Amino acid sequence: MLVNLQGPWDPIFGRLGLILQYQYNNPVIFFAFELSLVGGAIALFWLTCAGKWRTLWSDWLTTVDHKKIGVMYIIVGLVMLFRGFFDAVMIRTQQAMAVGASSPGFMGAAHGYLPPYHLDQVFTAHGMIMILLAVTPILVGIMNIVVPLQIGARDMAYPYLNALGLWLTVSAAALVMISLFVGDFSHAGWVGLIPLTELPYSPGVGVDYWIWSIQIGSVGTTLGAVNLIATIIKMRAPGMTWGRVPVFSWTTLATNIIALTSFPVLGVTLALLTFDRYLGTHFFTASLGGDLMMYTNLFWIWGHPEVYFVVLPAFGMISEIVPTFSQKTLFGYVTMVVASMAIAAVSWSVWLHHFFTMGAGPNVNAYFSIATMLVGIPTGVKVFNWLFTMYRGRLRFDTPMLWAIGTIFLLISGGMTGMMLAVPAINYIVHNSVFVIAHFHNMFLLVAYAAFAGVTFWFPKVFGFKLDERLGKRFFWSFTLGSIMVFIPMYILGFMGMTRRLDYISHPAWYPLILAELVGVGFYAVSVFFFLAQVVVSIRNRHDLRVGADAWGTSRSLEWGTHSPVPFYNFAVTPMVHARDEWAWRRENKLDSLKPDHYVDIHMPKNTMVPLILGMLSLVLGFALIWRIWWLAGLSFLAIIVAIVVRSFEKDTGYIIPAAEVAAMEQDYLDRAREVESAGEKVGGGAVGGGVPAASRAPWNKLKGD
Amino acid sequence: MTRMLALFPLLLLSGCSDKHYWLFDPKGPIASAELHYMILDVLVMLVVIIPVTALTIWVLWRYRAAAQARHEPGWAHSNVLEFVVWGVPLVIVAILGYYSYVGIHAVNPYGPEVLAKKSVVETTRQGIAPLEVDVISTDWQWLFVYPKLHIASANELVVPTHVPVHFRLTSTTVTNNFFIPQLVGQIYAMPGMRTKQAMIADHTGEYHGLAATLSGPGFSWMDFKVKALNEQQFGQWVAGVKGAKAQLTYAAFDKFAQPTVNTSGKSVYFANVQPGLFKHVIQEVKAGKVYPTPYAFTENMQAPEFTERTN
Repeated sequence: MLVNLQGPWDPIFGRLGLILQYQYNNPVIFFAFELSLVGGAIALFWLTCAGKWRTLWSDWLTTVDHKKIGVMYIIVGLVMLFRGFFDAVMIRTQQAMAVGASSPGFMGAAHGYLPPYHLDQVFTAHGMIMILLAVTPILVGIMNIVVPLQIGARDMAYPYLNALGLWLTVSAAALVMISLFVGDFSHAGWVGLIPLTELPYSPGVGVDYWIWSIQIGSVGTTLGAVNLIATIIKMRAPGMTWGRVPVFSWTTLATNIIALTSFPVLGVTLALLTFDRYLGTHFFTASLGGDLMMYTNLFWIWGHPEVYFVVLPAFGMISEIVPTFSQKTLFGYVTMVVASMAIAAVSWSVWLHHFFTMGAGPNVNAYFSIATMLVGIPTGVKVFNWLFTMYRGRLRFDTPMLWAIGTIFLLISGGMTGMMLAVPAINYIVHNSVFVIAHFHNMFLLVAYAAFAGVTFWFPKVFGFKLDERLGKRFFWSFTLGSIMVFIPMYILGFMGMTRRLDYISHPAWYPLILAELVGVGFYAVSVFFFLAQVVVSIRNRHDLRVGADAWGTSRSLEWGTHSPVPFYNFAVTPMVHARDEWAWRRENKLDSLKPDHYVDIHMPKNTMVPLILGMLSLVLGFALIWRIWWLAGLSFLAIIVAIVVRSFEKDTGYIIPAAEVAAMEQDYLDRAREVESAGEKVGGGAVGGGVPAASRAPWNKLKGD
Repeated sequence: MTRMLALFPLLLLSGCSDKHYWLFDPKGPIASAELHYMILDVLVMLVVIIPVTALTIWVLWRYRAAAQARHEPGWAHSNVLEFVVWGVPLVIVAILGYYSYVGIHAVNPYGPEVLAKKSVVETTRQGIAPLEVDVISTDWQWLFVYPKLHIASANELVVPTHVPVHFRLTSTTVTNNFFIPQLVGQIYAMPGMRTKQAMIADHTGEYHGLAATLSGPGFSWMDFKVKALNEQQFGQWVAGVKGAKAQLTYAAFDKFAQPTVNTSGKSVYFANVQPGLFKHVIQEVKAGKVYPTPYAFTENMQAPEFTERTN
């Protein structure tokens, strides 16, 4: 061993002996463990009884279909969102219980029920999960589903790579979940505060869990970025010039350029930290020539672009949803594209605003302050443009539109506080206070709102039926009440001087507002219930909620120009693009028939189990490295190389669907569409069909067309 | 929703008294300047935030489908509006950028221009040399060394009013953040490095000092007291500490700096501080000295091992 480890090490079991030596007997964890055991058992039982193993394997686990991969990304993201929410509940309840010297302590804590080591792990996991394993996968999932459809492609440029990205993300999420039960997680904040993450101050395996799960996940995200960039550049349908690419695809391009250029920085930074922890080097230590602020710089050179990585697709989705429900063209398309690219470009030169208090000279701080404010210009432009899109529109407030409006208000308030934080003279008194926490939750909520908008908006495209509107609106309002009740008190607590990441509250004056935040968490819990109810009820009523191709009746871009649910080959024939808002153009010119003149053979990629295997092997590799089980790490690494090499000799990776078969499948879709139409639903973009409207809850039925 | 957003802060504010809003209740020129720039920034932003919010609400109401207002589905471009949407944020950013530049120089920790202002200089005690304080953060306590006076105080900072206080800061282990909300903004204290900060306290009184960056399990108990005393009281306090029994040699410091959680908020005073302690700490850290955190140190705070290491 090149470094001094606290605790045992064994050549066969590595550091696993730590589990026996130290007690991890917290009832909270035990409860979570029981829950996952029971949940897993029920899932296995259902799979076996319903005979779904084969479907699971061939339709999902080995698929390279971009829509199914996108759906799995979103499911992973939602599961991790729930885990992150549970962490938030624990943080909020701990802070509400541990106020003042006389507050009682339980389960090994001096105050409240979470001792510092445990709470530190909870908020570290909360931050890392919410950013990298909840919001990011949901956004990547939506990009995966929507972008190929929007640009008229059959699939992604690299379907195999796409599946690999998914399974690496899954294995990163799995590592974080394993850390809940086997060992512990990092206690050094999601940013990995240096030198707290160095071995002397984090002697356990927690930081190693944090490092390797981020490493594995970020390889997945980088591969996804390569894929999306290549897809948008090379796979656009004929006629889709750059001036006709939908804004969401533009923001996807901008955001993935950010990902492709910034995630490798994170990888290298964490690798250097890994050398410090595993080999005893001194890149980021305070001693022997190490430079700890170098870590902070490098981390935020990735970390700040990452903020725009999640915000830009959110802006893109709003730019699709607002025109649809305003029944109007997006105002200032060129401006929107330029603004997105400008945000991506500026995102690179602002990272130092995360640590103005480091003690850099005033001119350095001034430079980064002004660079940060520059981001406000294109962002402000976007708000104005959405406003002018709604101006002289005909606004309908379906659930996606509600989420989109919420996003706009969150952007206005978050922009306001962002402009405060960008000024170093103000930053000095609110940095690392809960004011900052409220600000960036404001911004991440904006992304979450946009993500919920996107999921609700494109759900009918993928599954062929809408989500229940009534429960969706309840979900929206309870979530919004939660956001108001949690984060407005948090902003105010910032003015009272409350700092972040506290395990114990020494100033009882903060107590009333901390209790108010707890009420907000209650509203969030209610919103989780409404979300689950929405999904369950919608699936149960899926027959009534069926929609045709143009699910919302006023959709504008190309993805609405194929059937709902989308066939696995996306478009029967590759569409020819004529306009910026292609589907709106076709609807207006009565060219919205989904039946082509004739069908042609379709070339599709074959399923493969290699990405799944690589994902599972990287999970084993990560686990072995965390626990320093060298033989297992070597073996799994070798297996990964072998699997990649073997796969690279596979030449027969595609197959042909003959035109006749396409015609038969298309006929089924067209029959379904006719059935929906005769039930009163809109199919394509045409007028409302005859018959009695089956779904009176579909508000657009009551509206006149343009 | 927006109406509620606007009302909530007022409701919550009305329930509490002002003295708890530390950022709005500055007691020295630096914190006052920081509040000044915050108010300025918010006012400039409100010039655009209020109209945009109002306009958004108006548009949402006016152009709802049921209103059957004028509908122009193809209207998507206007050169005048394009000019406005780029121009307004640009002007706002230009104004705020200017104030940001002036503001950072005003409160620059390495030489705040605010302290050189005529009005501040006039209220400062004439002809008095600045008080030097060396701040050393450990796991998880603050040590304030007064090198000229050869005394030190742990977890309690005592300063005279109307005298510039010049801080030098470092840490023995991990990065910490020195923050007195009512007197001076935050600055990192980093191991093996030296940062600076400066302030003046205008009013006598007790204030709260905070460790604003997570530094490990004992961090929540790392608050420190700040006392601003008048000239005479400060002299008495110094004389009192000089009579304290505890000495602070390099060896004694080493013992002091072992991981300790200050759960009882205890202050300790040291007389006869060995000269050059601040420099010594930095050099030792640079040479590889660490104060390791025992594994799972605060996993069980009721265990005897924990009690032994708390104050």
